[in-house]
Amino acid sequence: MTTLKWKEKYGAMAVAILSTLLFLFPIYWMVITSIKPMNELFASPPNFFPLEPTFDAYIDNIIKNQSMLGYIANSFVISFGTLILSLILAAPVAYALARLDIKGKSLILIILLTTQMLPSIMLAMPLFIFFSKMGLINSFTALIIANTTHALPFAILVLRPYFLSVPSGLEDAAAIDGCNKFSVFLRIILPLVKPGLLTVGAFCFLFGWGDFLFALTLTTENSIRPLTLGLYKFIGEYGIEWNNLMAVATIAAIPIIVIFVTLQKYIVSGVTSGAMKD
Amino acid sequence: MQQSDVVIEKRNTIRTVSSIFKSKRNLGNYLFLAPGLLFLMFFMIFPIFYNLLLGFQNVTLMNLRGEHEFIGLSNYINIFLDPVFKISFVNSIIFTAMCIFFQFAIGFAFALLFNMNFPGKNFLRSLLLLAWMLPMIITSTLFRWMMSGDYGVFNYFLLVLGIIDEPILWLTETSTSLLGTIIANIWIGVPFNMIILLGGLQSLPDHLYEAAKIDGASRFQQFRHITLPLMRPTILILLMLGVIYTFKVFDLIYIMTGGGPVNSSYVLPFYAFNLAFVKFDFSMGAAVATLMFVFLCIVSAIYLWFLRKEEQIH
Repeated sequence: MTTLKWKEKYGAMAVAILSTLLFLFPIYWMVITSIKPMNELFASPPNFFPLEPTFDAYIDNIIKNQSMLGYIANSFVISFGTLILSLILAAPVAYALARLDIKGKSLILIILLTTQMLPSIMLAMPLFIFFSKMGLINSFTALIIANTTHALPFAILVLRPYFLSVPSGLEDAAAIDGCNKFSVFLRIILPLVKPGLLTVGAFCFLFGWGDFLFALTLTTENSIRPLTLGLYKFIGEYGIEWNNLMAVATIAAIPIIVIFVTLQKYIVSGVTSGAMKD
Repeated sequence: MQQSDVVIEKRNTIRTVSSIFKSKRNLGNYLFLAPGLLFLMFFMIFPIFYNLLLGFQNVTLMNLRGEHEFIGLSNYINIFLDPVFKISFVNSIIFTAMCIFFQFAIGFAFALLFNMNFPGKNFLRSLLLLAWMLPMIITSTLFRWMMSGDYGVFNYFLLVLGIIDEPILWLTETSTSLLGTIIANIWIGVPFNMIILLGGLQSLPDHLYEAAKIDGASRFQQFRHITLPLMRPTILILLMLGVIYTFKVFDLIYIMTGGGPVNSSYVLPFYAFNLAFVKFDFSMGAAVATLMFVFLCIVSAIYLWFLRKEEQIH
């Protein structure tokens, strides 16, 4: 009996490891391609380990090609902007929906669910017209606002359960001590939902970092464009120099991987709670 | 629940000065909502109606700042007469249906695997999520490389496994371009499906399976008669989210095929983008966007209908 269980356990583990590695092969291929010299790219059969690994593609793209750094900086500005604006707007709404006496809560929740399903392309057109009338095309403001439309409904819906789980009565106790509603929220409740803020913050950053459509439609100048658009531009410029392209793609993936490794458990919980919006 | 009961009670008993004071205090509650909801109204709800309005006008880049004419349904008529719309619509349905089917099936297999007890499962499970978290533009570029020419590594695998006899020019043939993007999107969606289904599986009560084992039910019978029925709510919401997420995929098509060759991989979001930002016919683009919104509303309505039926059964 015990040997059978043992076999089952490690059999499942072996299958899981193998299938995970196989599934993630494309990511391996991205990194491997980026350190191959040109002459190995089109080898047939393909080399699964580079024979002469080289970091030329990275050196070319970061040190020689200065525009890369600009794209990376823009991506950080846009992503952090999206993160901050989304959290500032989402946290009070999520708190009010979770704990305050407010009429029409269910209507607001329905509106949030509806707005969450809006395709970005649907918003891109009105936003383009609006921002061009305001003279905000080619501005970080426009991109941050646009990306926040993507992040905000998600952020509110994911944050709300965290506020619900804060023990009740805290507000009353604080009110007796003479705190008003806003300082109760800022000083007492917000620190208690830090895990929620981390989860949501990570996702808002990801939304900003991964955005392509808004950057494509709301900007025309390279000086303002994020790395995703830079990568697209390089597809045209590099042609079949796939090692260069994969180096840029790997660089663009690094912040995602860093966030992922450091905030792993928060991200898994964010995915689940984001989908299970009661 | 309790809190609001107390509030109602208070309102009924003390209806004088203090109730006015109370409502004033409640006004503060709405201040928490104001900034976020105003943002939503202005940048998300208003655009829905603006699209609706644009769809009945003739706004292009030329007259963007000037006068617009109301032209009734002619944008919609033009769209329905456009053969590219028909291609995009059919492709969108194929793309969404195939992606969801395979994401769900493969995701379910992974979820069942990771629902077993073995060391390192949490780590491997979150590692898989990486495929879902990568920005779509990176994944698209990556799959474009893997499927490129006849030397792409994807062709190599298929040849070695004997699935194909000669290399396929995945993204540059009209017959395979849409399929190429579907395969890439399935890869993106599998981890998401896996995580949601795994969450559902882990919440199933163990004692049902123990009882079934005592009754001599096979693994498959357990799956068929315990797992599937209990997973229905999870499956329903996952399928609805799948439709919503998959239907709006744009970046992937834009990068991998650009809608081509010869419109063979056009889907509705790409079609709307092309009308609005390549041809700069904003009204036509808005009309397509409105049609997409209507479609998504219908999907949600069907979901809610299923949900209600489900609740009536239990």
